[in-house]
Amino acid sequence: MTQLATDQTVRADFNGVLVDAIPGSPIELERRGNEFWARFNDPGWEGTPQERPRITRQIVMITGSHHQNIYWYATGHQRALNVLPAVYLLKDERWVPRDSVVLSPPNQGVATHDGHWNAVCISCHTTHGKTQFDTPYRSEPIASQTVGTTVVEFGIACESCHGPATEHVTANRNPWRRYGLHLWNALDPTITEPTSLDPKRSSEVCGQCHSVWEFYDVADERSASANGLAYRPGDTLTDTRFVAQPTANIESNNMQVLLDTDPDFVRGSFWADGVIRVSGREYNGLIESPCFFKADSKDRTLSCFSCHNMHKEPDDPRSLSNWANTHQLAEDMDTNNACQQCHPSIAKNVTSHTNHSAESSGSSCYNCHMPYTSYGLMRAIRSHTISSPSVEETVKVGRPNACNLCHLDKTLSWTGNHLQDWYGSAAPNLNEQQRTIAASVLWLLKGDAGQRALAAWSYGWQPAQSASGTEWMVPYLGELLGDPYDVVRYISANSIKTLSGYEGFSYDFVGTRDERIAAAVKLLNQWRNTSASRARQDPQLLFGPDGQPDISAMRLLFDQRDQRPLFLRE
Amino acid sequence: MQKTPNTPNYTHRHLLFGWWSLLVFVLLGLTLETFHGLKLGFYLDMSNTTRRLMWTLAHAHGGLLALIHVVAALMFQAFPDRGHTTRRQASRALIGASLLLPGGFFFGGISFFNGDPGYGIALVPFGASCLLFAVFQLARECRHES
Repeated sequence: MTQLATDQTVRADFNGVLVDAIPGSPIELERRGNEFWARFNDPGWEGTPQERPRITRQIVMITGSHHQNIYWYATGHQRALNVLPAVYLLKDERWVPRDSVVLSPPNQGVATHDGHWNAVCISCHTTHGKTQFDTPYRSEPIASQTVGTTVVEFGIACESCHGPATEHVTANRNPWRRYGLHLWNALDPTITEPTSLDPKRSSEVCGQCHSVWEFYDVADERSASANGLAYRPGDTLTDTRFVAQPTANIESNNMQVLLDTDPDFVRGSFWADGVIRVSGREYNGLIESPCFFKADSKDRTLSCFSCHNMHKEPDDPRSLSNWANTHQLAEDMDTNNACQQCHPSIAKNVTSHTNHSAESSGSSCYNCHMPYTSYGLMRAIRSHTISSPSVEETVKVGRPNACNLCHLDKTLSWTGNHLQDWYGSAAPNLNEQQRTIAASVLWLLKGDAGQRALAAWSYGWQPAQSASGTEWMVPYLGELLGDPYDVVRYISANSIKTLSGYEGFSYDFVGTRDERIAAAVKLLNQWRNTSASRARQDPQLLFGPDGQPDISAMRLLFDQRDQRPLFLRE
Repeated sequence: MQKTPNTPNYTHRHLLFGWWSLLVFVLLGLTLETFHGLKLGFYLDMSNTTRRLMWTLAHAHGGLLALIHVVAALMFQAFPDRGHTTRRQASRALIGASLLLPGGFFFGGISFFNGDPGYGIALVPFGASCLLFAVFQLARECRHES
């Protein structure tokens, strides 16, 4: 969430620090009393790169408190903000270029125009923000625009989800009213209670931010700029905004207009079959789930609140930080109990449904029906489109299936046969590679940057390591240390550090090319000197009888890689 | 007031009540400090701030009222011949306040909802009324010079 930059919110050291982990001139950080200042090359400069001025600006706001701190500076033009070209990674305790924390093509940075926060981020990172641009953002140079942005509160406050509360606050000054409502267990008509809404309507409360959406037209944008977004909790979301859902509205005029101006609008957020592939847009996943759109009664309709709880219950024994760091799941909803609310018959005999032992991670509903096939925050995220594993989908769309994200050393053919035997799935039509080479190896070597990121993350996922063994992984993860996408390199390095004997692996994913190559060579040499390098003589993993990787086969797959530039808009 | 066989010994009653209730509320304070020391979530978590406030108020009111009992006992000792009716009413009201005020806060903190204390808090206004009445009666006693 966005908050003011204070000693409590700023996690990086600003005391005379020089940030040199970015291209070009370093950023100079400075404390001036309680204020945070930075001197850097103006990222909002729209003239020639050679003339880009060096500017000194105050950091006034900050976004992110769990994974990274993104810093916003006052541009000096009215209330327009822009983003500092470096981001502080909290877990790693280091600065990295802003472009390196998103999955974007090399040398194709993310937008850093003055006023970006005011026009875009404000919608979901504040409560009732009003952009208040006198003309649409980017319709003319920002220097000639009026930017009178205001917000009611920073971050997601009560009224974001419960709607306007003036009447509620006034009415509930009366204690008799409050205790009366509680005593009779009555709903308070002066406020919207999302959990009491129809499940589909309640999910739209979350969907106001957790969806891919756009204004229907310029008039809506102008109105929102002046008055704030029109949606109020309890409303029908699509009354006031266009929710992009390629499976349902790819042919719509709104979508076509968006695609005309931005041909990658769909590809940057969705898999080819219209399933969302980025984090932060879980509502798009939910509405594509059979548990949501096929539900025949309100009691059995999946909603965000089926599993998540936005306020930790007083009797929840977990600490507040524990609850917050486990995706604000309601108590016990990180187990099979989540699905068993509606599927009690499966709960009676899980193993007969899963064909895995009860203790196996393969008997977790989540692992099979919400696999890690979305990307965001420099890691894989569980898909929120509830689905069943399908090799056919993997072949057609490229989305990794749950089975092969755990059984990393198995082929699609192996998975297809099991799904056919266990669930009667149709036999998939596979090519030679898909029949003979482990699916994860194909994703790592041939896949697009998003597939590579997901596969690399799975190599570091403990259940997958248990199911697949780890002794063969180093050459593949080492290969990705030279990936052109910064994020893929970052994920690969983190997965390497989860392998036994490589915990201290030293690698800078934004270091120079020579440094990265040297680290990869050192890693491979270390692996070759261990018995693990001869442990797997598995042709499906492209390992020869000597246990060594078949470099020519790997190179062949590498040459077939999907090199199309990909920018995932998490 | 001349003490007769039927007249309660208010000094003894309030010394006894005061010191024992002080012991109870000092122990409660120690318990609350232990909760702090052990960082117990059911007391310290943000979602439990109502409980923390209620139990702190129970501790504070109970402790202070215990001291008032001791002071009242000393007053009864110093001025033994004041009106029996007034003293009886003040004594009962003071004991009632000592049970209802901290008790209401304590029970109000056991279960609570939406930032409001539990139904036990309903005892607090009655306790406050008792305290007000007791203080008024004791103040009335002090009008007369001995």
